[in-house]
Amino acid sequence: MIEVAGAAHPLVAAVVVSAVLGVGAYAVAALETGIGARVAGHPLGVTASLRAPLAQAALLLARPAVVTERPDGPLWVLAPALYAALAATALSVLPLATDFAVADVRTGIVVFGSAEVLAMVAVYLHGWAPNSPLPLVGAYRFIASGCSFLLLSMFVLIAAALPAESMSFGRIMASQQEGLWNVLRQPLGLPLFAVVALGVSFFGPLDFSDGHELAGGTAAEVSGPPALAWGWARRAMLATYAIASAVVFLAGPSGPWLPGPLWLALKALAIAAALVWLRHTVGRVQIDRFVLVAWTVLLPLAFLHLAIAGVVTLA
Amino acid sequence: MTGVVVDVAFWIFAVASAWFGWRVFRTDSMVRATFSLLASFAGVGAIMVLLLVEYVGVALFFMMGVEMVVMAIYMVAFMMNPAGINPMQMLHQRRVATAVGVAVAGALAAVAVAADLPEAPLVAPADTIRALGHELMGGSMLLMQTVGVTLATTMVAAVVLSSARGRFGPADDGSRPPPLDPDEQVEAEPAQAAARGDGHGHGGHG
Repeated sequence: MIEVAGAAHPLVAAVVVSAVLGVGAYAVAALETGIGARVAGHPLGVTASLRAPLAQAALLLARPAVVTERPDGPLWVLAPALYAALAATALSVLPLATDFAVADVRTGIVVFGSAEVLAMVAVYLHGWAPNSPLPLVGAYRFIASGCSFLLLSMFVLIAAALPAESMSFGRIMASQQEGLWNVLRQPLGLPLFAVVALGVSFFGPLDFSDGHELAGGTAAEVSGPPALAWGWARRAMLATYAIASAVVFLAGPSGPWLPGPLWLALKALAIAAALVWLRHTVGRVQIDRFVLVAWTVLLPLAFLHLAIAGVVTLA
Repeated sequence: MTGVVVDVAFWIFAVASAWFGWRVFRTDSMVRATFSLLASFAGVGAIMVLLLVEYVGVALFFMMGVEMVVMAIYMVAFMMNPAGINPMQMLHQRRVATAVGVAVAGALAAVAVAADLPEAPLVAPADTIRALGHELMGGSMLLMQTVGVTLATTMVAAVVLSSARGRFGPADDGSRPPPLDPDEQVEAEPAQAAARGDGHGHGGHG
């Protein structure tokens, strides 16, 4: 069941996953502050960028939580927990060092794909549970976008599995140590996977479900600690996708001189910075336009990408 | 994993699956019913992983995930009690259903007790996924390719049919928004014209 990068003891696994998700989400939040200020023309120092997310988190903790009229209480609480748990599940199959993963299972890309599909359930429930119109609109928008971009993820990951001859992320990483990195071998993959990353964490140009014009969408009715939990979970998901992109396209933790986890952190930070930069520079796309482009342009591109990957692998 | 851990995990997932399956019929909310069913299936998927049917078990998660999300949309859209606002009975034909349920459960239990099941401990087969791939792309290739192309065609056709803009013009051409007041007569004028601003003004809207 376990491939090259191995499996960790459950206690080690819990500590590692919590630490990576905690630090990763914090790094994304700090990047948002820093890059946002730079794009706005008022650059902040590193210390100020690092401090701002903490201040924001403390503020949210101090605020009371809002309760709507007849909400679905349990589902409202469970939605951020489910979303964060799915980020943790997706992270657990990724190699974090050349010889370490929480569980480098044979069915890695299927587990990863299941986590991103079930994220649709978490976001839908987060919009459904408050019993309020704007969150509900956000919930339906996420499903419309999710059904459009999730197929891209499947094709991109299957294409990456072809040269590795395995669905394990450890082997996908190992196949790039021997040959070219997938970012060069499969040039369409990273841009398509970036669309999925932005879509699943409803971030920046693809923030359909929690956008400003819906007064926060599925998060319109949350404040205080639940808002902190939701904001953290979204950034944890984005961090997981940055790590996954680094593993699948940039050979993840493998590299000369530096230790593996450091290489992975640097590559994931670069990808996260690019995604955050997109958030601050590209306007939000209209949902109907995105669905049209996803089905008529991006999906055929993903077919093409898979076909090219197959031919290149066989050649 | 050791045998005890697998046994404990099996019972946890088995009881959870049965409990969520029961919850499907005890709730008023279509969303809760749908996602209870999803949780029940997820438990079955986890049990399949425990039984070392790794790929099929994990694939069950995403297949049921998409399926139940789509089902939730249709349940909310078409059932008479989407959000648990009006009382609604989830059970139909109770006597027949009870009889069938008891009979099937009894038959399955009888099979489990009476059948001479092998006791050989399960060993993880080295290459089930490879074997599955060879089966799908070898012996069953014609069948799988036919099914695949049929499904893909159905998906594309469904998207084309439900698309608002088709080759024969906008799908909502000539449709009218429902009046806010249920007693009000629907206007004869197509809403499209009014929305475009080239329809003449209507008086009398309060």
